[in-house]
Amino acid sequence: MSDKKRGLSKAREIYLNRSQRARELKAAGKRIMGYPCAYVPLEMITALDLVPYRTCGDMKEPVTEADRALPSSFCPIMRTCLDCALKGKNDFLDGMVTIHSCDPQEKTARVWESYTDYPYFHFIDMPVTVRPEALEYFEGQLNDFKKTLEAFSGKKLSTGTLEAAIESHNRQRTLVRELYELTKPSPPLVSGTEIVQVVKALMSLPVAEGNELLADIMSEVQSRTDGPERKAARLLTWGSTLDNTDIMQVFEAKANVVMDESCGGIRAYRAEVRRSPDPIEGLADYYLNEITCARSFRQAILGETRKRYARDLQSRFGYLKGIIKEWNINGAIMLLVRYCDPFAFEMPSLKDYFDGLGIPNTYIEYDYTAGALAPLRTRVEAFLETIS
Amino acid sequence: MTKVALIDKSSNLISTVKGPTGPEHRQLANEVMRQALEKVSLQIDDISCIVATGYGRVNVPFADRQITELSCHARGVSSIFPNVRTAIDIGGQDAKCMKIDNGRLISFVMNDKCAAGTGRFLEVTAATLGVKLEDMGDISLKATKRIQISNLCTIFAQQEVVALLSRGERLEDIVAGLHNALASRIAALAQRLGIEPDLVLTGGGAKNTGMVRAVKESLGRELLVPEEPLLTGALGAAILAGETYMKAVAASGAFSAKPRRLEKATFFGREHR
Amino acid sequence: MAGEKEKRAINRLESMRPLRAKVNETYLKSIEAMQAGKPAVWGMLNFYYGDPVLKAMDIEVVYPENYGAIAAATGVAQQYLDRANADGFPTHLCGYSLTTLGYASRMMKELKGQIPPEAPLGGMPKPLFLMSSAAICDARYKWFQSLGRYMDAPVWTLEAPTPGVKEFFIEGYYDRMVDLGVKHLSNFVTFVEDMVGRKMDWDKLDKTANLMIEINRVWHEVNELRKVKPCPMHSRDFWSAMPAALFLAGDLEDSLGLYQDMYKEVKGRVDSGTGAIPEEKYRLVFAELPPWHSLSFFDKLAERGWNFVIESFGYRPPIPIDLSKVSDPLERITRFNLQFFAGYYEDARKQNVLGGAFAYPYLKYAREWKCDGALLHPLISCRSASTHLPYVSNMLMEKLKVPSLSIEGDIVDLRLFNPQDALARAEPFEETMEHYRKMRKQEGLDW
Repeated sequence: MSDKKRGLSKAREIYLNRSQRARELKAAGKRIMGYPCAYVPLEMITALDLVPYRTCGDMKEPVTEADRALPSSFCPIMRTCLDCALKGKNDFLDGMVTIHSCDPQEKTARVWESYTDYPYFHFIDMPVTVRPEALEYFEGQLNDFKKTLEAFSGKKLSTGTLEAAIESHNRQRTLVRELYELTKPSPPLVSGTEIVQVVKALMSLPVAEGNELLADIMSEVQSRTDGPERKAARLLTWGSTLDNTDIMQVFEAKANVVMDESCGGIRAYRAEVRRSPDPIEGLADYYLNEITCARSFRQAILGETRKRYARDLQSRFGYLKGIIKEWNINGAIMLLVRYCDPFAFEMPSLKDYFDGLGIPNTYIEYDYTAGALAPLRTRVEAFLETIS
Repeated sequence: MTKVALIDKSSNLISTVKGPTGPEHRQLANEVMRQALEKVSLQIDDISCIVATGYGRVNVPFADRQITELSCHARGVSSIFPNVRTAIDIGGQDAKCMKIDNGRLISFVMNDKCAAGTGRFLEVTAATLGVKLEDMGDISLKATKRIQISNLCTIFAQQEVVALLSRGERLEDIVAGLHNALASRIAALAQRLGIEPDLVLTGGGAKNTGMVRAVKESLGRELLVPEEPLLTGALGAAILAGETYMKAVAASGAFSAKPRRLEKATFFGREHR
Repeated sequence: MAGEKEKRAINRLESMRPLRAKVNETYLKSIEAMQAGKPAVWGMLNFYYGDPVLKAMDIEVVYPENYGAIAAATGVAQQYLDRANADGFPTHLCGYSLTTLGYASRMMKELKGQIPPEAPLGGMPKPLFLMSSAAICDARYKWFQSLGRYMDAPVWTLEAPTPGVKEFFIEGYYDRMVDLGVKHLSNFVTFVEDMVGRKMDWDKLDKTANLMIEINRVWHEVNELRKVKPCPMHSRDFWSAMPAALFLAGDLEDSLGLYQDMYKEVKGRVDSGTGAIPEEKYRLVFAELPPWHSLSFFDKLAERGWNFVIESFGYRPPIPIDLSKVSDPLERITRFNLQFFAGYYEDARKQNVLGGAFAYPYLKYAREWKCDGALLHPLISCRSASTHLPYVSNMLMEKLKVPSLSIEGDIVDLRLFNPQDALARAEPFEETMEHYRKMRKQEGLDW
């Protein structure tokens, strides 16, 4: 990796050529572990001195290979993810860790395992609720994962190394939150597009290198004079994944995206893994409870016997209220990927919540292909025209 | 289609052109602009402010501003029907429903899926039937029997239409069925937004008397239709251009327009549709 | 389903009829219950897990998934779909969910809690609570959660662990699944007790669990009889007769008797060499959900000699398991529920079929029921009943040289299934099946 690029321009470079660092590390003898979803506990991978690498799709690459095994009416993000894998784009991986976050993740994991030949493959099951027995089950799953990962790596996962890894990943979360503090001013000091590149870069580097990159970026952004232009609209984007700058640019042509509630934005970084005598327990608690993906079934009160809609909305989405206020957000766009069920069911309730807060909002559905950009542009611009 | 509307400072239309569409957006924009100016013996520098709208709006180099067709239709329709609260635009490529308040777009839905909810549906099926698109509406009004077109997809509807013909169904009844199928998709779109009167139908679909009837029936409501449904978008863009200009002048005394240069149209008489 | 005329092409089982009638009974009973002020609950397919709890507490359950199919077949679904879309639910969502959401919107928002007059079979009464399940797909539990927009009925989502084939064999893995299942079910019982203000009758639960297990054991045996040539029972009879075993519809003692009658009738046919169709030329396996509204399509195929000998993994009884030494009914129920998927894992691992719980069983079916072909029916708005089908098709061809024919449809948009088109593809597929019969002979396979 060239030392010449630092900070944001390094993030940009990595965004454009994601696998370069992983390949370098592999050539130097490290082993690389792929993962397709933010729910995979990266700390355990890091703790065994393996390098986590998020496998992504490519919006511009027409899907061809995945058609052998997945129908076309299927999450387009996982389809392109699998397609890239079947085309050999991830051949440097030593293994894959998959997880039962949503149906497409689960079903793609099976196909992925059947049609590829990595030395290591592990599927972590995940409960759908956050009940105590579900949490206990999930801990058991992480312990099973630990067993197979230890066998593969040839090392034991000690409490000490796991705690160190947790601290490192927590540090990354803190730094990303600090970066998002810099979108609070008007204009924000860093753009949504730049953050997409940063987060993608973080998902392509070992955690320590990612933290270094973030530290650089923080000092660069805090003192920059070439930040984004001030736009009247300050947007919150909400969706499953927003990991492509072309999409973000559609929003930022005429708005500032100051908060991105997605897996390409703040979702994996908002909270921290808390300290626990058994670090696996702390991890299970964090991943099941703190990742705000629509796939989880949450209630205001566990096993509630009275259901009040307003209270239900508050418990599921209340964390957004503070964000909207603190970031001075004046519009919200719910971005749905076609065929995504959890977010599609979640959206009308979130819309009710936003309407209750008086935040102008709209939802836009797209199919995660290059052809989706122009229709997306019209809809985004029309929405911005309604709130200007 | 590529359209131009020139208005004077009282928002009266002084020149309009409806030209073909196609992949060469810049050329087409240049050509229709040239024609519109010629009609009223004006030069492009005589125009105070130009707003471009529609799918190709990013490819109009001499435009001062780009505004989506949703806002433009909202404004254009309101200038004709001041009490409009809901507008539906059935275009060749897409369909839109707009909620309007005092001429402003306040919310909207657009069809997400495919040709089946747009003018293209009738275009394709007309071709299958060997009927001219512009005759479809009148033919549909002569129906005497209700036929349900069961296929959603435009491609399959074509096959179904052939099957109906060979079964001996009348052309008029089939064509009415096609209009009803399209209208029900439009109605479903509109229901997502909620309809408040006055309700206006515009766009190419509104020129089709059969469509007007079918949408009216599907929604069970009165519909207003502008005399020139193909121009409401351009008209609205022109009005918004006027407002842009007036606002700038009020704020700082002048409006700085983009460099106005019309490229010479390098081809003539080529049909794009 | 209800009120169809039997065609002579398929020799329907007499013993099927009283079993088929159980579904209508369920709706009528839930309406009666509501009118008598007793609680009714909306549930969904949960594979023998939550159903026995509700059964043991005499709670009437209706299944909107089932109701969605009825609404589609009786032509009222469209207005509910339109309502759901108008209320902001995107169109690609599961047709059953949109139908129910539209129905709930109409009942609660428009009619202030009154059952819509156009609703077939007396409709679905406003439920006391919603019993949802994580099994099969995300859409189901998110859909019941979304119903909170229209009614204040609380939701319980039943967990459904979904292991990978290899992971399942990690030491202690299965025990942890049982542990989750038992604790979770116990909490569910407490929830239900709170909701209805009564305590569980544990003796009754014990008996209910046993009946459920025995019913399914007999039902499993009935289906094993279908392995012979000619097959004595057609898929249509399976689908008609399954609700009492799958959903515990109706009185369980009664159901057990009826399945035992069915066993006798089918055994009788096996002994006399009577097939379900006059001339069995081809033996087919069907995946996954049948086109409920167009079942006469199978009669047309029967006229061509197509006998459907096994079908729909998602509806089948679990492979029988001896639970007699398990004293806790909650544990017995949990193990039986897990057995639905887990029963196949050992085989799947041996065969190295990793493509998910819904895929491997079809390999077993095609082999043991000696199928010449598979008819696959992907449904555009039901992804979980469709995504495994390409994998199944590849697996059957690679491992057994059994070809597949794929015909699309939808669960509620009935316009998408075109029986004429489908029948037009039958003839060429017959040639394909004959070709692969020869290929299988060459590979040393015996059918």
